[in-house]
Amino acid sequence: MTTPVSAPEKKKFRLKYYINYLLVGAFFLIFLIMDMTMGLRTSSVQLLVKIAYSIILAVSLNMVVGFLGELSLGHAGFMCVGAYIGCFCANYLHKVIPSPLVVLILAMLIGGVVAAVFGFLIGLPTLRLKGDYLAIATLAFGEIVRTVFKNLNAFGGALGLTTKRYDNSLYIIAFLVVLFTLFVTQNLKRSKHGRAIEAIRDNEIAARAMGVNVTYYKLMVFIIAAFFAGVAGVIYGHLVTPVSNTFFSFNYSIEILVMVVLGGMGNVSGSIIAATLLTFINVQLTTQLSGDMAALKYLIYALILIAMVLWNNAPALRDVREKFSLHRLLAFLNRKLHPAAETPDAPEIADWDKIPTKIPMDALLSTDIKPDHTFEADKPEKPSK
Amino acid sequence: MSTLVNGLCLGGIYALIALGYTMVYGIAKMLNFAHGDIIMIGAYAIISTLSLTGNTLAAIIAAIIICTLLGVLTERLAYRPLRGASPLAVLITAIGVSYLLQSIAQLIFGAQSITVEIGSLNAVNVLGVSIPVSSLITLALCVVIMTALTLFITKTKLGCAMLAVSEDRAAAQLMGINTNMIITLTFAIGSALAAFASTFYLMQIPSATPTLGSMPGIKAFTAAVIGGIGSIPGAMIGGILLGVIEKFALSVPALAPYTTAIEFGLLIIILLVKPTGLLGKKRREKV
Amino acid sequence: MKRFHRLFALALSVVLCAFCFASCGGSGTNYAASNTEYFIGGTGPLTGDASSYGISVQNGAQLAIDEINANGGLNGVLFHFEMKDDQAGEEAAATGYTALYESGMQLSIGSVTSGSCASFADRAKDDGVLFISPSASAANVIATSENAFRVCFGDPQQGTLSADTLVERSVKVGVIYDTSDPYSTGLYTAFELRMTELGKVKDTDYVVRTFDKDSNKDFSTQVAALADAGCETIYTPIYYTEAGLIAKAAAAQGFNVPIFGNDGLDGVADQLSSDVTANVEYITPFDVNATDDATVAFVTAYEAKYGSTPDQFAADGYDAVMILYAAMQKAGISDVTMSASAMADLIRPVLTSADFSYTGLTGSNMTWSADGSCNKDAKIVKVQ
Repeated sequence: MTTPVSAPEKKKFRLKYYINYLLVGAFFLIFLIMDMTMGLRTSSVQLLVKIAYSIILAVSLNMVVGFLGELSLGHAGFMCVGAYIGCFCANYLHKVIPSPLVVLILAMLIGGVVAAVFGFLIGLPTLRLKGDYLAIATLAFGEIVRTVFKNLNAFGGALGLTTKRYDNSLYIIAFLVVLFTLFVTQNLKRSKHGRAIEAIRDNEIAARAMGVNVTYYKLMVFIIAAFFAGVAGVIYGHLVTPVSNTFFSFNYSIEILVMVVLGGMGNVSGSIIAATLLTFINVQLTTQLSGDMAALKYLIYALILIAMVLWNNAPALRDVREKFSLHRLLAFLNRKLHPAAETPDAPEIADWDKIPTKIPMDALLSTDIKPDHTFEADKPEKPSK
Repeated sequence: MSTLVNGLCLGGIYALIALGYTMVYGIAKMLNFAHGDIIMIGAYAIISTLSLTGNTLAAIIAAIIICTLLGVLTERLAYRPLRGASPLAVLITAIGVSYLLQSIAQLIFGAQSITVEIGSLNAVNVLGVSIPVSSLITLALCVVIMTALTLFITKTKLGCAMLAVSEDRAAAQLMGINTNMIITLTFAIGSALAAFASTFYLMQIPSATPTLGSMPGIKAFTAAVIGGIGSIPGAMIGGILLGVIEKFALSVPALAPYTTAIEFGLLIIILLVKPTGLLGKKRREKV
Repeated sequence: MKRFHRLFALALSVVLCAFCFASCGGSGTNYAASNTEYFIGGTGPLTGDASSYGISVQNGAQLAIDEINANGGLNGVLFHFEMKDDQAGEEAAATGYTALYESGMQLSIGSVTSGSCASFADRAKDDGVLFISPSASAANVIATSENAFRVCFGDPQQGTLSADTLVERSVKVGVIYDTSDPYSTGLYTAFELRMTELGKVKDTDYVVRTFDKDSNKDFSTQVAALADAGCETIYTPIYYTEAGLIAKAAAAQGFNVPIFGNDGLDGVADQLSSDVTANVEYITPFDVNATDDATVAFVTAYEAKYGSTPDQFAADGYDAVMILYAAMQKAGISDVTMSASAMADLIRPVLTSADFSYTGLTGSNMTWSADGSCNKDAKIVKVQ
């Protein structure tokens, strides 16, 4: 989504600003109504909560990876901090506060804030690093956190921290948190801070030259993302007991990253869809394949993953992709249904913010040049995000 | 003293894996998360050939061939179609390949760890410390491979082409270098190194499971980053440093449970002091 | 247009998900109402690092089910067994449990590993499902629910027994245990406690080294440290995969002292290479080389079906199913559509009653206390 050039115009209702709320809300409402009328199975509730915390994780990681443009492989580490600390406090709070809802909310706040503090502590020094170096540093952080919690007897040691599970209405709270996460990320994105952050992603040095406080904004994104990861951890801790370190290994960080990449970098709706679908696929594979078939799970998952990435990204498949894309299908249907209507494919007026800042030299030059190659005019492409 | 020796041996293995990582990263600019799993496949190749022929040398050669083919094959099928796409997409495919190899290994060889007897496990006494022969070979070969690689890259035409590709792929192509071929070659060399690594891994830790490669893979990646990713001597230094630190941490009972944390902590500290690793090149950014 | 694309994808996923998993049914539903076979379920690691243990349990349990079905089931009604993969993780165990329960599971063998079994027990408690875990030995696994039982020894029991045995031999003991594993830390904690009770001092009477199996499986340093300290026995409260490596690392350094372990070591025989000359012995309820009829029949059937030697996990899995079967017979269960909680209410009193005992592969005259732990004798098995 691109930010409109801010002119002092009247605030207009734009569907694209609200589409995520609407869809998540609709999704949630369907189940809420079903729950009210007929009751939901425990498995559905579990799946809903899982989808909810996956969305929170994916959307918050998307802020770091897609929006700020820094690769982080330590998201599960922040989740781990949130889960352990939040649930540890919740265990004490249960003795003081009778209402489990209040305890859950407090635990989410505590877990989120502590994770955010860790985000700050780890972000401050490591954000000097670039690209893959930052990626490995965050991965290292995640593993350090996990190792430390594994060996602390106060947190249950290797067996994990025994927590008090929340009842089956956990998904309601989880989805409210999803909406809150969306609220924060989308508003951040559309604010002046968001524009500064995008400027950093597109060109850090240029942004710095324009007077953007790079460290401040990087830290801000890192802290907010860590906060939501921590909150997701607390939700996890109220779904599953005991909370054990093995869940938060770097494999899980990578799983979250997969959701972000498949959904599209910087694309919030994409993250939501990918988180939902991947969680769903994962749970289905786990529950459907029992016994000797279980070994096929990763095989299928891996094949789906590779196929999806190749389909979405391979330059060679671009033509095929466009030929079979959904929007072409829709346009085709549209033509069939309304033969009279003119297809509104008029060229778009050049939006200033749509002109790419960099010419993709790598892509241009890596095509094999044959002797009878005809060169085409060099025209700016739409950014692919 | 024996801790130091053990650390050096372990470090040698990490260094070998890290060399593969760093080569691939330096030239193809991608984190090959499946590298550890190629080591795992290599280990299984050794075990199967050994049980078929009983000849260690044949087993090692078979492992080298299988790993090289596998490396080239994955590059061809999974990574080359994505050339020019976002590096993260390639990263995700690499993860997919890693899952794929692990599940294939489990389907073929089962989940049970398979134990193997390879090489001579005799220990020689040097200055009062008993050192397993396999460890000595590991270290020696590590140095040999590193020197050979450095010579290859600096002295031969192909090596120079590799350097050129790693420096600037587009410019290299304009100079008439077949970048696709070079990248495939890099994968072949990296995977052959992985086969060596699996040999030494089995000498040190003589059993194989489908998940054998993932942790050494991550550790070796850490080692490559410590040394400065893309730098061949850096990978060597990083690997050995990591191995020694790990063994020293393990030898102190109070620190032993936190070994992983100490290793990764070391990585973070080194990166803070030198953001591109010990021997990494600093690139000046241009606007 | 892009918006259309997104809308479409989202709508698609909403429909897909709503269609696929939004089956309704609140609490109190009897999911077993349409069962035609008795349904026994469980979860265990079938992929990942710990998968060899889970697969063993699954094979053993399946063998028991086959045997029961071949003999006509229970009053002519056959049994159905299903095992879900939990990768030794808590979250997947909870998911697996719910999936099993909602597809009609009536009795269960719980989970294979301690952590996931704690999660399994926590969920099973809500629905009143009775389970008897073959191998989850941590104390809290059976503590959460009155319907939780186990076949194997508990960690405290075994750790204490090991300390007693080793003290009796009056040797200097070197311990290597896995800090990342609940089973191992549980055993070690009990061992240390008992050693302190017996007046033994850490570092003088026994030396402790640790490892983390997630991190590294090279044991040269730990073994060298124990050799330097002059230990006369290595105590390994861990699983057999790593214990085999420790034995080999010790042999490589020429440090050939006896290795002593617990039931997790069962299966280590396949992991040892010819250069290991040290004695390896362990406390276990099951001995694959035993000559009694039951064991011989089991080992023969197992090898015929799966082509490998069964270990203690497989025997525990077999026994778990057979115990459930025996208890069902004694409780006089005849309704195949009985709900899980109703069945648990019938079987629990039988299991805990003083006159119910079971003799199987992993012990004779096993009885169960009300807290769910199993009372049986241990034997010490030596690897030849």
